[in-house]
Amino acid sequence: MSSLQARVYFRKELFKEYHFRRGRQRRPRFGVSLSVLIDCLSAFTFSSGNMGLELRYPGPDMQLLLKLMDSNRICTDAEIRTRIPETTPREYDFNLGGDGPQPLSFAIKSAALKEIIEDLEWPGSSIVLTVHPDPPRVTFRGEGHGDLQIELFYNAQSDLFISFQCDRRASFRYKYKHLKATTANIPASIVKDNRGSKLTVNDNGLLRVQHMISIRSSSSSTAGNQPQPQFFTSQGLGTTTGQGSPMPRVSYTEFFVMPEEEPLSAGGQMDGEAS
Amino acid sequence: MKFQAIFNDRGVNLLEKRFLPALEKVGKTCHLYLDRKHVIFLHNVLHGDGVQAITQFGKDTIFAEYRISSQNAGRIAFTIDLGLFLRALRSSVSMDGDVCQVKLVKKRARSSGVTEKALPFLTFESKGHKSAVVQDVPISQPLTRGAVQELQDVLESGQGLPQTLVLLPALGQLQGHVDQLKNVGDVLDLAVTKCGDFYLRVNTPFVSIGTEYRGLKVLGDKVTPQSSVNEPVNPSGRLREAINRGEAHSVKVAVKHFAKSLQCHLTKPDHSFIGVSPNESCVLLMFQYFHSGSWEVDENLHMHYRIPVLDSG
Repeated sequence: MSSLQARVYFRKELFKEYHFRRGRQRRPRFGVSLSVLIDCLSAFTFSSGNMGLELRYPGPDMQLLLKLMDSNRICTDAEIRTRIPETTPREYDFNLGGDGPQPLSFAIKSAALKEIIEDLEWPGSSIVLTVHPDPPRVTFRGEGHGDLQIELFYNAQSDLFISFQCDRRASFRYKYKHLKATTANIPASIVKDNRGSKLTVNDNGLLRVQHMISIRSSSSSTAGNQPQPQFFTSQGLGTTTGQGSPMPRVSYTEFFVMPEEEPLSAGGQMDGEAS
Repeated sequence: MKFQAIFNDRGVNLLEKRFLPALEKVGKTCHLYLDRKHVIFLHNVLHGDGVQAITQFGKDTIFAEYRISSQNAGRIAFTIDLGLFLRALRSSVSMDGDVCQVKLVKKRARSSGVTEKALPFLTFESKGHKSAVVQDVPISQPLTRGAVQELQDVLESGQGLPQTLVLLPALGQLQGHVDQLKNVGDVLDLAVTKCGDFYLRVNTPFVSIGTEYRGLKVLGDKVTPQSSVNEPVNPSGRLREAINRGEAHSVKVAVKHFAKSLQCHLTKPDHSFIGVSPNESCVLLMFQYFHSGSWEVDENLHMHYRIPVLDSG
């Protein structure tokens, strides 16, 4: 099982048109080379105008088909060979709303999170993430070539925190390179718009890091091109129109990071104490 | 063997701002071939398997005064470093002097560190109001009579002009697209049709990606496109049908060669045409430059590139 998993969700409302014909598989799954997909998408960026890029699957030979026709009769198309993934990514269950203990979570400004993780680079090795309920705070501690500890107090740094949910102390150790990967390529728009990232830890130390992706649709651009206010709910991520009704045009990227196997010597697991 | 000339303003501007930066992208060094009427830059003509570029200026396009003499019917050719040429020219222009003169000289200089012997230089002399600058740009020994004749033969042969030339879309945008395709694969399938359609495609074991430009202007052999309800809906199908009807040429070239050739947009051509030579040995890119403020082609300014076709095997 891999120690790091990343996913990006695009809701169907992102697309101008979205047609899904249900086949034998409830949710068709196929693999493509990420670098090939990125290179192909980059090759479509030269086109002028605001014509839509059409994505289609499956092609006659199970390819992923991309096509863009612009107003000057320039047609760019791509066929990307797909493959059946060798391993099926595990669907992590955070047991939200279940009978078990609620996972601990906090949301902070994405730019600050990125900066904190970058600062933790020099000790190297692994990082211990500890969430304390009283006083509510989060600690990142790196031990390696010297020690570095960064402590964030929820009450004192309300400009940094967006939310904080913790009823028991928890502490887990993660590989630095995995934590770094969760913030290394945060889309520039997230940092620019001063958005937040949500971190959730379950009983087993599985860490989920979620970032909102800013996608301004044509409809939102007609409404003054202002970014929609966004918030985190206990069920995940959402946006609001200001009247409290959730906006569906939300896409986000999330990372799942497994803790290091080695147990921590002191307070290395959820211990339920309100220290 | 003598060569001495004085640049005119247009010549300095053309070389400094447009042509030398573009030619430098094709290759660091090239042949400079001078005869009584022309100044010609030639890349990869006598040897080398890269992109061949030939840029020909009428002498009056570049120079206000022009004197040349040699025992080979007034023809002189040598190899020159374009980077040094450009630096010398820029430095001379920065003097803001009255005249910028260039001449062929031999000077005694150290060769290989120790021995001193007479070496050829192209000397730039620029006189400002208070100072003068003399710059010696080293060049190769002048080419032999035989080698000069080879250059002349290349110029006269024409190497088979394509029967169909298609007007290329905006070069800057095309270059951006080809630069992206360079990341996908090394070999570019390139095709032109007599209907004025132009195709680019990169195929690898993992992906096939390409672009179709339709209805471009055609020079030479052309056919009127027939709209049909049975026309294939995808570009690959339309090209296949055009090839089957004998109305298209399709060849493979190195993506890096094509991308390098598109740097020609630095010369700001007014029209750029592309075609495949009749024997499908090379792709020809031909550029036209108009007289300032008119639609009339300047016959004293001509450039074309030849991109070698890769073996289909």
